[in-house]
Amino acid sequence: MDSPIFRLNADRTRLVDTVVQRILATKTRSAADVEFWLNDTAFWEIARLEADGSASSQLRDWLDLYRTLGRKQDTEKAALLRSVVTGYARDIVGNFNPQVYRLASRLIPKGLSLLYRRQALQVAGGLDHRITIQGHIDTLRKLCEQGTVILMPTHSSNLDSILVGYALDRLGLPPFTYGAGKNLFGNRFIGYFMHNLGAYKVDRRLRHDLYKDTLKAYSTLLLESGYHSLFFPGGTRSRSGSVEKKLKLGLAGTGVTAYVNNLIAGSAKPNLYVFPVTINYPLVLEGASQIDDYLKAVGRSRYIIEDDEFSRLAVIWKYFQAVLNFEGKVFLQVGAPLDIFGNPVDDEGRSLDPRGRLVDPRSYVRVRGVPTHDRRRDEEYARELGVSVLDGFARNNVVLCTNLVAFVMFRWLVATHPNLDVYHLIRLPGDTAILRGELTRLVERVRDQLLKLHHQGRLLLSPTVQTADVTEILNTAFEYFRAYHTRHLVALVGEAVHLQDVKLLFYYHNRLSGYGLENLFPADRSHTVKGT
Amino acid sequence: MAQPNDDFGPVGVLGGGSWGTSLAQLAATNGFRVIQWMRDAKRADEQNRCHENRTYLPDIPLSPAIEAITDLQRVGQECRLILVVVPSQSLRSVLYELGAHLDGGHLLVHGVKGLETGTFKRMSEILREETPCRQLGVLSGPNLAREVAMGQPSASVVASRYEAVIEATRVALTGPTFRVYGNADLVGVEIGGALKNILAIASGVVYGLGFGDNTKALLLTRGIAEIARLGSHLGANASTFSGLSGIGDLVATCFSPLSRNFQVGQKLAQGQSLTTIAHSMHQVAEGVKTTLSVYEYAQRQSIDMPITEAVYRMLYEQAKPAEVLKDLMSITRFPYEHS
Repeated sequence: MDSPIFRLNADRTRLVDTVVQRILATKTRSAADVEFWLNDTAFWEIARLEADGSASSQLRDWLDLYRTLGRKQDTEKAALLRSVVTGYARDIVGNFNPQVYRLASRLIPKGLSLLYRRQALQVAGGLDHRITIQGHIDTLRKLCEQGTVILMPTHSSNLDSILVGYALDRLGLPPFTYGAGKNLFGNRFIGYFMHNLGAYKVDRRLRHDLYKDTLKAYSTLLLESGYHSLFFPGGTRSRSGSVEKKLKLGLAGTGVTAYVNNLIAGSAKPNLYVFPVTINYPLVLEGASQIDDYLKAVGRSRYIIEDDEFSRLAVIWKYFQAVLNFEGKVFLQVGAPLDIFGNPVDDEGRSLDPRGRLVDPRSYVRVRGVPTHDRRRDEEYARELGVSVLDGFARNNVVLCTNLVAFVMFRWLVATHPNLDVYHLIRLPGDTAILRGELTRLVERVRDQLLKLHHQGRLLLSPTVQTADVTEILNTAFEYFRAYHTRHLVALVGEAVHLQDVKLLFYYHNRLSGYGLENLFPADRSHTVKGT
Repeated sequence: MAQPNDDFGPVGVLGGGSWGTSLAQLAATNGFRVIQWMRDAKRADEQNRCHENRTYLPDIPLSPAIEAITDLQRVGQECRLILVVVPSQSLRSVLYELGAHLDGGHLLVHGVKGLETGTFKRMSEILREETPCRQLGVLSGPNLAREVAMGQPSASVVASRYEAVIEATRVALTGPTFRVYGNADLVGVEIGGALKNILAIASGVVYGLGFGDNTKALLLTRGIAEIARLGSHLGANASTFSGLSGIGDLVATCFSPLSRNFQVGQKLAQGQSLTTIAHSMHQVAEGVKTTLSVYEYAQRQSIDMPITEAVYRMLYEQAKPAEVLKDLMSITRFPYEHS
């Protein structure tokens, strides 16, 4: 298991120097350029720091620079810009501590196993039974040897990166590097591990081009240098609970640039391989606050939520007890690999066209036979890669009992209240109930359709959803629904199933949106059962 | 501008019909060597011998720089820019064959106005599905093949998300009698080109029924409104429909008795059935199939397209043109122009 990440510390100086050199090469073609970038950066930094309201020394430095810029010599300006970019690059660059890695790879599974109380001592490798890693695992292992791998998982929880880290370790693969929000490093426990396991820092408060370009240059350089990388292409956790339908390919879009650089440099292993991955939780740690956020439609502006479930260890503890104590599982599904242009790739790492014929990936970036950068073209390639990744997400979405039952309950609610939108539905009184018999019938109907979709390769089903009888599916879902979230999603009273938290039912339901299953629920006013 | 052929070798043209031949002639006139693929070996021989496409573009002398061939592999091997001008319903199979000889460096531009029956796919989607190519585009505009080949001043739009496609097409085809504009709205240009064939049929009906310019103008303006309605639904840019590939193409179509779709409409107005009309024409009128695809799609998606529905009823339900027109004139759904 050789990987440059084990040598990250020795490589840090080179990484920072190369990034600085590349950024300066594009931004200092003339003295006017240098002044422009200093001005622009100072403007945004000042705006941000002033909005923060803290009269920091940082703010004073920027204000000072802004005021005196006009009087400075060209050489002084160039040195200033160099120091600003170097500062950004040093802040971004990750660290890797092999000791912490060895500790973590022993500690994390153990820690997770401990949480899995009842059988932790009896069942060896208990966690392995609870977290299923499946799909194109052998190809993943193989292509890690043949080129640089980019994992692109769906993103619904901050636990995702820990889970992926655990999965890679279990598969015998080296850790992958990834960009994590700087705010997460603030959590002392989690931050310690992230900092020492190759994660690099993304400061989401910095939105100006000089910083973003530095970040992109760093990410590009890591890919070129053979660092397997993890990108959450949704950009942020999916607030709605659905599998990503739209991607923000910011950093993930650096793949084509890295590939062209590899070809120009004559690299021995120039290829990059992208694996869409879905992470499927029966319950999502931050589900409640995520869906709140989504419904308030502030997901966009409230980028950084410091105080959600992830920041409270007690909640994480409760979550694991709930998720790991039942028969259900977390599924990490590795989808079929793609090349950096979104073409499927065979087991040997060779690119295929949509009809399965071999195609030379170099042909996409060659102009008159020479590998060439072209920003606009490469943005289009990144967009096309995004389309393929989204398709991979949809096809590798593993439907769990909680998704199926929440979907049915929410669609039933919509069908029985045809004039209400979601904002009204979530305010329905808690005594809205569906009879068990009706629920069973509807789950049966949706399951039949899911089996068809599964057969067509359009999604995947957990073993329970695929083969268990509906009563078992319902009972499993009900157990989950009453296990973790502060407010139980359902209450069972005799034959009636009360829908107590429509917001969370909506959240878990969204995982099944986009497959046309809604059509199975024609509007109908005759089935509401009020109170019992 | 780049010198002919330095950049991408000979220009490839797929298809031996009138429009393919006209495009071949444009590129050849600009000094490019052109390889024109056609399925029929006899016609290819004849064209190479006489420098004339006697079947589809008679009496127009063609440049000797055009070489007609029947070997698809050569197109893939020798050409970087390939103009695809085969009928929409055989596009998929031809491209699948060609796809084996292509890679990511080829620039594919189609000039096919239509949609795939059954799937409602745009032609560029078929290009994407059958070949390894990403750099795809469409060429569309008010271009009656014969007028272009005769050197009458005209213009077209090439739409692509890739600048290289726009640039190469402009270099290959722009000349003293032909202008090529670029546009990034691939969907809008394709939809405009495909759907105007429906209006071309309607326009033939209006002409056949003996109505004048008022009626034609009414058809044309309300027609483009309806096309833009569907286009916006598919993510097109509404302003594309006021350009050459939208309103421009409609004007040419509605005023020209040369268009095959227009002729279908005329014959409908004379009371002929679709079967009779199909037998009497040796080239397919794309609009006949497009009407079916669009009508079904609009029904499924609940998009209001009254003129398309009218043409559909004449073609596929044997409705009488006079009655259909009466129904159209009594629509009350659109009290305001822009709604």
